[in-house]
Amino acid sequence: MPPTSIADTPQTEHTLPPVLPADDTRGTYGMLLFVLTESFLFVFMFFAYYYVEKGNQRWHIEVPPRLHYALPQLGLLALGSLLLWWGEKQALQRKGLAARLAILGTIVLGFGYLVLSYFSYSEHLQHISLHTDAYGSAFYTITGIHIAHLILGILMLFWVILLPHWEPMPRPPHRPYHNVAIYWHFVAALWLITVCILYIGPNVYNAL
Amino acid sequence: MSAAVQQHLIDLWETPKTAIGWLSTVDHKELGKRYIATAMVFLVIGGVEALLIRLQLAKPNQTLLGPEMYNQIFTMHGTTMIWWYAAPILSGFAVFLVPLMIGARDMAFPRLNAFTYWAYLFSGILLYVGPCLGQAPHGGWFAYVPYTLSAYSPAHGIDFFNLSLILLTIATTGGAINFIVTILRLRAPGMTISRMPLFLYSTLTVSWITVFALPALTAANIFVELDRRWNAHFFDVAHGGNPLLWQHLFWFFGHPWVYIVFLPATGMLSMIIPTFSRRPIVGYPYVAASTVLTGLVGFGVWVHHMFAVGMSQMAMSFFSAASMTISIFTAVQVFAWLATLWKGRPVLTASMHYALGSVALLVIGGLNGIFTAVVPVDWQVTDTYFVVSHLHYVLVGINMFPVFAAFYYWLPKMTGRMLGETLGKISFWTMFAGFNLAFFPMHILGIEGMPRRIYTYLPGMGWEGPNMMITTGAFILALGILLTFINVYWSLRHGRLAGKNPWFADSLEWSTDSPPAPYGSIHLPTVVSRHPLWDEHDEEEDPKNQRILDQARLTFTTTSLDAEPVAIASISEDTILPLLLALGMFVAFGALVYQLLWVVLGASVFCLLVTARWLWPTSEGEIGCPLLR
Repeated sequence: MPPTSIADTPQTEHTLPPVLPADDTRGTYGMLLFVLTESFLFVFMFFAYYYVEKGNQRWHIEVPPRLHYALPQLGLLALGSLLLWWGEKQALQRKGLAARLAILGTIVLGFGYLVLSYFSYSEHLQHISLHTDAYGSAFYTITGIHIAHLILGILMLFWVILLPHWEPMPRPPHRPYHNVAIYWHFVAALWLITVCILYIGPNVYNAL
Repeated sequence: MSAAVQQHLIDLWETPKTAIGWLSTVDHKELGKRYIATAMVFLVIGGVEALLIRLQLAKPNQTLLGPEMYNQIFTMHGTTMIWWYAAPILSGFAVFLVPLMIGARDMAFPRLNAFTYWAYLFSGILLYVGPCLGQAPHGGWFAYVPYTLSAYSPAHGIDFFNLSLILLTIATTGGAINFIVTILRLRAPGMTISRMPLFLYSTLTVSWITVFALPALTAANIFVELDRRWNAHFFDVAHGGNPLLWQHLFWFFGHPWVYIVFLPATGMLSMIIPTFSRRPIVGYPYVAASTVLTGLVGFGVWVHHMFAVGMSQMAMSFFSAASMTISIFTAVQVFAWLATLWKGRPVLTASMHYALGSVALLVIGGLNGIFTAVVPVDWQVTDTYFVVSHLHYVLVGINMFPVFAAFYYWLPKMTGRMLGETLGKISFWTMFAGFNLAFFPMHILGIEGMPRRIYTYLPGMGWEGPNMMITTGAFILALGILLTFINVYWSLRHGRLAGKNPWFADSLEWSTDSPPAPYGSIHLPTVVSRHPLWDEHDEEEDPKNQRILDQARLTFTTTSLDAEPVAIASISEDTILPLLLALGMFVAFGALVYQLLWVVLGASVFCLLVTARWLWPTSEGEIGCPLLR
């Protein structure tokens, strides 16, 4: 809603309310809370990972997950986040094309992540799978649910690219962009934590 | 002018009275009433299950229910009552009341609100598909592994249980997010955080609890489902899993959930008791703070459900101490109510009867809660009827009795007609007597060693007398509930008209008509004190007509702490998409029970498309400011 000083107020003769901007913050609050509750889903899954490990010290030492895909994946997501952040600045300056290209770039990087995930999984599955033991169950559940979140993020980004636009806008016209970017940064941060806990942790433990 | 304005507002806000209109409404008042009605249906179903249990246990060696049937019935009873009655009934009241109490025209996310209701309804239907197919869950409402893994429970009952719960967690989380944003952003100008009615404090607190604690249940359910149907090994000791993982996750969610079904009810009491004591509540800041603190400390007590699993002395001492700390915050509330009564001039309406009754039951349930928080006592009484007694005193005493108080208090606002006072008081005394007759003897049974969840017992244990009493009490309690249902039915037809404020209460919902107009109040109210209708300020005074906001479906956005108006929020139109999304999820989760992956995939794509359409801006206002040049 633009400021409510719209000239053609229907039917009524009374004076208009004071000019206030349209509220565009609710979506952001909603997204932040969604991200918060989703992060707690991961907190509990990481808890499960450690809790199940406790009675079972030797499990992942034999073949720890390798880093040669996980770290490039992290790089892709970090780059995507940076690009999205840059694109948001472009959107604020009304450079729509640049902003859309930034989203597109992020999507491509997201697909790159999925391709690397495929290779990483097919390599790791030769040693351990969801069905092998509790460690495998935790590992594949956490990474799998992360991939599901990432796919959702890609779909959200697509959706933002497709959005139409209206002018003139009273405020920087980038709110959906902003909300989806919050989600994408969350997915990227989640992978950083996942890499630390699921990938680097066992390797360090193994080297000690 | 006024009539024209009013008509214009009605045109903007009213849901068409057609089938499509009924299915696509986003009006919080309509949805709130549906929530309450649906939760009451679940209360009746769960209640009938409880009566079946009591018939089976009335005498030794009964054969009404076999052992497997008994397990299914008590599982369905607990599951229905805890998840599909106790919390949703409070959400229902909150959905109806919160926007009216804060003087907004709807919730912050009206379509999410509709989705939340439909998903709640469909999750309940999914839960009951299992029993209709003869495959009811039988693992108790906390469904401990390994009994609920596929080796011991091969039928699909537990799958229905798990997946309907996941659907319910989605609905509940959506509702919680909606309450948080609504209460923090849409309060009437001037309703600062220190002027919020206490019911809002409790609703806000439990919404935060939901955001943090509910994912634990979701995670636990996902793990069990993966173990059961996809050959994962989270709980399988032979493959390095650990059954206690379920207990930790479940109770990390489960104990905060106790406060989710408890705090809004205390919030209701904090509204009702001052109104009928004819004075403001004593110690408002302390009650507000102890509500929030109960929510916080509630995260640190989950292990007291697991004292018997064997753990270090240190851990048990910590959780025992934390559990006893909680009673301090509850006591603050109880003493605030007592002081309010003491300093006020109590009016003993039917609603007040229920409110005072629940305070009494809360004290008993709180005291035997302290017993069970003490580790040695807990070891003695764990898994006995003592625990059954404790949890029913707490859950019935401080959920169902306040809910009935709220019926007699707020139903006139919802329907426009008063409930019968005399029949209400008879109903209360019947319920109160029946309840105590049913649940007090369980203390003694528990101490005498009768375990919970046994389907029958032998004569000569000294358990016959109390069990017969309990069964009698259960039926008297059911009769009392029935009396209130009759009362509601009668009042809808013949009840006295309520008028705007039949109780001369202080909060904003009483400044609207009964039942409220679809738009709430014509002039969005402003607030200058904690008791808007008791102070001298006219909430709707608006000489320049600046707060009618009838250009579209609009309401004010205010700052979170000071409630300064900063923006104007547009409220979305009625739409059927929330129903479609909930339906899609219902199909997806139902198909997951039988691992029909293509159906799951199809339903998921459908859900995504519906969501994309849902969020698609249909006007400039709908999503704030749209995108890019």
